Amino acid sequence: MSTRFYPRYYLGNPQLRVFLPNFVMKLIKPPNPQPPNVVTFIVSTQMTKFDIQNYLEKIYKVPVASINTHIHMGEIKRSKVGGYLIKDDDYKIAYVTMPKTETFEFPDLYPSEKEEKMEKEMEQIKLLQKDWSKKIQQHKHRPGMPSWFGA
Amino acid sequence: MAGLRQTRTLFSTLTTTLSKLHVSRTPVVTTVPTISVFQPSRVGKYTVGIHTSTNLHNLSEFFDDKKNWGEQEVKVGRSWKKDELRIKSNDDLHKLWFVLLKERNMLLTMEHDAKQEYRLFPNPERIDKVEDSMKNLEDVVVERNRAYWMLETGETGERPTGVITDELGIRRRRRFCQYFIPSWMHHQKKETVHRGAAICKFQRLMREKNFLTKRRYYRRVRGHVYMLWRRFPNMNVEALQRQYPEVDVRLLQKHKKARGHHLQNEA
Repeated sequence: MSTRFYPRYYLGNPQLRVFLPNFVMKLIKPPNPQPPNVVTFIVSTQMTKFDIQNYLEKIYKVPVASINTHIHMGEIKRSKVGGYLIKDDDYKIAYVTMPKTETFEFPDLYPSEKEEKMEKEMEQIKLLQKDWSKKIQQHKHRPGMPSWFGA
Repeated sequence: MAGLRQTRTLFSTLTTTLSKLHVSRTPVVTTVPTISVFQPSRVGKYTVGIHTSTNLHNLSEFFDDKKNWGEQEVKVGRSWKKDELRIKSNDDLHKLWFVLLKERNMLLTMEHDAKQEYRLFPNPERIDKVEDSMKNLEDVVVERNRAYWMLETGETGERPTGVITDELGIRRRRRFCQYFIPSWMHHQKKETVHRGAAICKFQRLMREKNFLTKRRYYRRVRGHVYMLWRRFPNMNVEALQRQYPEVDVRLLQKHKKARGHHLQNEA
């Protein structure tokens, strides 16, 4: 596609520009504890450190001090049915260090208030289910009987 | 290293205008009451609500709105259609691309975290909608690019393709790319590539396989037509020929296999 096909770069030519970048960056919880100014990402495998830096600085306006990357090999496991091998996709992990003044803490995306609310709702539903099953038991020998006949 | 940096530097400075976005995430039509601040005759009853994205340019953009955290359902609109994107200017499309890109990053981040925490990721079709929008947007950009090139140069400006004979001697269509050294200066001549004994053997076996596949196919069609003639002797010949153009239906009708043992077939 013409939007994804770039000519070869010769030294002195005008700079090649990506107008519609389709790289992906996922902010993840770090697998190991990190300093407060380090953010962990899963990025597209073909991204370089310069790409990551530009991506964060130009699109997200996040200051970047340094970047470490490595490609993590996808897990290889055996299929439970056929016995053949399955390999997950490889992915690149980037540890982005921001300047010392910046800090980032991964937020709690599942607040406890909502959890409690959900639990209460579930309790309600269970009560209703109990009632319903009780009713069904009462009318076990009268199938198809409309409810307006009374219990 | 400096050269590499120069070659791979991304993104034009156009993204600096991102802070003043006037493009909503998904097209949402909202009812706006007529207010007499403007000329009342010009303000319609139904106008498209103008959303301005938040001015936050930091890592919080990788996460959803705070009110959606821990929700079971997040309601969103539909994806952008091509017809809607065609009436936008190039500038708007460029801005919208970055909105969609951020949205996709956000959704993928939330999905990843949900998987890690064994939680529900609400409305996963949001990712599909964003990707659909991005695909439509890119298609529209390609359309415009092609039209511009055709007008200016008479070519489509797409990546050139052609049919070539590859290393295994198979003819296939390949997309060409640029090289620093012209092909006539290459040490290895292209004619000498597929001449070895192993390649010849491979080609022979490949030809045999193709031939057998084709023969099996014709045999199957022929058998099917025999069976049809046997079961339906008064069939429309033209219609049958149209459906199975690979075989001569009239010829097959005369064959012994096409004759059934029914009374009407005994002659």
